[in-house]
Amino acid sequence: MTQTSVAEYKSAWEAQLLAFEESQHRGTMKRLLVGARRNRLVISGTVLGLLVLAAAVLGPAVIGSDYRSQQLRNIHLSPFSTADLPDQSQRFYLLGTDHLGRDVAQRLFVGIRVSLLVALGVTALSMLLGILLGLVGGFSGGWRDRIIRGVTDFVWGFPLILVAVLFAGGLGEGLFPVVLAVGLVNLAAIARVVRGEVLVLKEREFIEAARASGFSSGRIMFRHVLPNILAPTFVLASYYVAVAIIAEAALSFIGLGAQPPLPSLGVMVAEGRNFLQINHWESTIPGITIVLMVLSVSLIGDGLRDVFDPRLRHEAKRMEA
Amino acid sequence: MTQGNGTSPVLSIRNLTTTIQSDGLIFDVVRGLSLDVYPNERVCLVGESGCGKTIAALSVMRLLPEAGEITGGSILFKGRELVSTSERDIRAIRAEEISMIFQDPLTSLDPSFTVGSILKELIKVHRGGDDKSAAALALATLAEVEIPDAKSRMDAYPHQLSGGMRQRVMIAMALVLDPDLLIADEPTTALDVTVQAQILERLVEEQRQRQMAMLLITHDLAVVASVADRVAVMYSGEIVEQAPVDQLFADPRHPYTQGLIRALPHVSPRKEPLYSIPGRVPPPQFTPPGCYFAPRCPYAIERCWQEHPPLEPDGGDRLLRCYNPQPFALL
Amino acid sequence: MRRIVSRTGYMILILILSSIAVFYAIRLSGGDATAAALPASTTAAQREAFRERLGLTAPIYVQYFQYAGRILTGDMGNSLTNNADIGQMLIRHGKNSLILGAAAFALVFVIGIPLGIWASVRRNRFADQGIMTFSVTGMAIPNFWLALLVIWLFASTFHLLPSAGCCEPRHLILPAVVLAFEGIALTVRMTRSAMLENLGQDWVRTARAAGLSEIRVIGKHAFRNALIPIISLAGLRIGQIVGYALVVETIFGWPGLGQVLVNAVLRRDYPVAQFFSVVLVALVVIGNWLADLGYVIANPRLRRA
Repeated sequence: MTQTSVAEYKSAWEAQLLAFEESQHRGTMKRLLVGARRNRLVISGTVLGLLVLAAAVLGPAVIGSDYRSQQLRNIHLSPFSTADLPDQSQRFYLLGTDHLGRDVAQRLFVGIRVSLLVALGVTALSMLLGILLGLVGGFSGGWRDRIIRGVTDFVWGFPLILVAVLFAGGLGEGLFPVVLAVGLVNLAAIARVVRGEVLVLKEREFIEAARASGFSSGRIMFRHVLPNILAPTFVLASYYVAVAIIAEAALSFIGLGAQPPLPSLGVMVAEGRNFLQINHWESTIPGITIVLMVLSVSLIGDGLRDVFDPRLRHEAKRMEA
Repeated sequence: MTQGNGTSPVLSIRNLTTTIQSDGLIFDVVRGLSLDVYPNERVCLVGESGCGKTIAALSVMRLLPEAGEITGGSILFKGRELVSTSERDIRAIRAEEISMIFQDPLTSLDPSFTVGSILKELIKVHRGGDDKSAAALALATLAEVEIPDAKSRMDAYPHQLSGGMRQRVMIAMALVLDPDLLIADEPTTALDVTVQAQILERLVEEQRQRQMAMLLITHDLAVVASVADRVAVMYSGEIVEQAPVDQLFADPRHPYTQGLIRALPHVSPRKEPLYSIPGRVPPPQFTPPGCYFAPRCPYAIERCWQEHPPLEPDGGDRLLRCYNPQPFALL
Repeated sequence: MRRIVSRTGYMILILILSSIAVFYAIRLSGGDATAAALPASTTAAQREAFRERLGLTAPIYVQYFQYAGRILTGDMGNSLTNNADIGQMLIRHGKNSLILGAAAFALVFVIGIPLGIWASVRRNRFADQGIMTFSVTGMAIPNFWLALLVIWLFASTFHLLPSAGCCEPRHLILPAVVLAFEGIALTVRMTRSAMLENLGQDWVRTARAAGLSEIRVIGKHAFRNALIPIISLAGLRIGQIVGYALVVETIFGWPGLGQVLVNAVLRRDYPVAQFFSVVLVALVVIGNWLADLGYVIANPRLRRA
């Protein structure tokens, strides 16, 4: 029974323990990414989204983006059919034709572009402004907060469609009132959530520490608070992209959004609704596309939320224990 | 192991092993825990946070979270095996024969119901009867635990009461059906120091009056000193020492117990640095090969690293799990 | 109590503000009110005279007060397209919308809440995953497309239910289901997450320690607290239903407020568009107010000692 061998045991043990603990604490960001990659939701959502994106970006280049020209001889063709053109040549219609003989595939890809542009563009804008308003309101408090809160509380609960219809009533038809309406309501909702997160964060010690170090409010807001609220905000943003896609489609459907012949997905569904018996593909194809787009965005959002939330809460719990 | 007068224990835990699943890994939180609680006595289970004492208590009540599972050993209550009892029978036992008090009284009471309705529900589910008799019993118990103005408190919501009062409500809930065993998991940890003493006094008083068995779980040796008849010291999922309270404090034998006592801040004329046991509790997934305390033990010998010491009788009413105990001396 | 009063005052203020906003927006839109009412052959002078008769040449704020005054005395004006009395329209179409909305609202909670509870109790097992998949997909399907799908399936193909029209129960089924669909999906998620959060709370553990049966623990203690966020978001459901009703009524030809509003906007029928806009906005605001009320009632923590 020697002292040295006990000491050897001990140091060996401590080395092992240290190694074990280090393996547990790989950087948070890295862990998140690993988690994200393994998360099935995120993967399937991303794959789907990339497919749609590819269709939007590459589709028109590959197939052509002529969404207007009509071939009244070749109306209501089903997908994968080939037909004759007036000049005796043959043409393969990937997704068939609609009631005016237009190539559905071409219209679809252009339509995806329109939907994506509107949705992503609007969401990007409302994210920017919403985060800004939420930050300022939550952080500064006082009259600024009260105004921001009053406005956002009122607007955010409003049904998008109603607001868009109202705007359309005031501004006429077209995509602009849709964009405005969707942007405004989403902006208010995002600002509201951001404000809530900021309020919670404001109570945490590291903000007090930053203040004690003499940092200005602006600096604290942007360099300390902002990075911490980005995670849930992105999850929210994915939800609102989905909402924007559906809203734009719904409004175009009832005639208040994109105007024919611009082939927004909603317009396409609307135009095909009278022909459901003859050629349901005209409405079904854009409909399915909408569902796929929204699904992919939702899955990514849900996956992101799964990745962010339990990790953050887990980490917090482990630190405290 | 029976007490001197030959009575059999109310609660007899033998070799209990409970596992927790986390992040896809399964590990033992309670390992081969053995403990007896006799009628009309107060046993304290002491240990640092994370040693598994709460999980052990929850195992007795079969209240483990979804991620937890009893994987071995037996829990005998009045001769009845609790590990294999059906859910239905366990429900009948809870609150009637074994009841439990939890640590945080704020979150332990349903915020959407009044104190009175919570108590009455408990009474009616177990004993039946009408609202009036249930209310009377509830009121009487609230008064007994010294809640001032009990009548109007019956209609109060938990958030309207102070921490101390909420804990008294929990005690009332635990006692109203006159159980044989009361398990209290850190009942005073979340309370102010002044209130702590009152609550402990109340608990001891109730135990004496009703002559029930009490298992009090704590990490605070001061609580142990003032409340316990017998003490069981827990480390890393198992008991390492067990003794009557006076003997434990006068002559602690396990190095961990000695460390705990040494670490108690005490008022003294000389200015001494605070003592803390070197090292940390090993994570449950990664335990030393021999004695779990070996890495932190000042008396560890080779054997401690090679074999896991068993819990063995150590004279009188004592149990000890150590290959190389040394006499205790305050530094 | 004070909170209720302040919320009510807030609501009235919002109503007034929104009526002003709508009024201004429509007046300022630059569209020609006369286009809807008069045939194309009318001359500019005749249009001017017509406008003057309608009081459209006065400054806008004057018009607003005149308008407000008339409304408060019960004269809502007439539709520009068919000269129907708007007040009558409100009653007739309002009743239809109310029926549809109530049916959809009921469906949302009668189906959504039980499914959500079931999913939370069977967490991560087959039932939960199935229900959640349904919920996620349900939220992704635009309801106008769902409407078409449903019409195609039930009406055109199987001839089970009519595809449009009013006002018997069988006309109500399809539009109500379509209208409720997204609300159901959302409610399922909301209920599930609220229940999950509650099931992990300490007081549920206390309830179990008290020997209460699982049904009581889940149904009473967990659910009662989960109800709080569900109710507070119920007001949003009202707004959502009002919004989607615009689309659903149009597709199914259900003659409600939404359909009227959409047509009025498309046809530039200003008096109708304006009035019904305010009515729908009012419905949304009242819905939110009711939800606020419900939240205060449901959450005992908001009551002072």
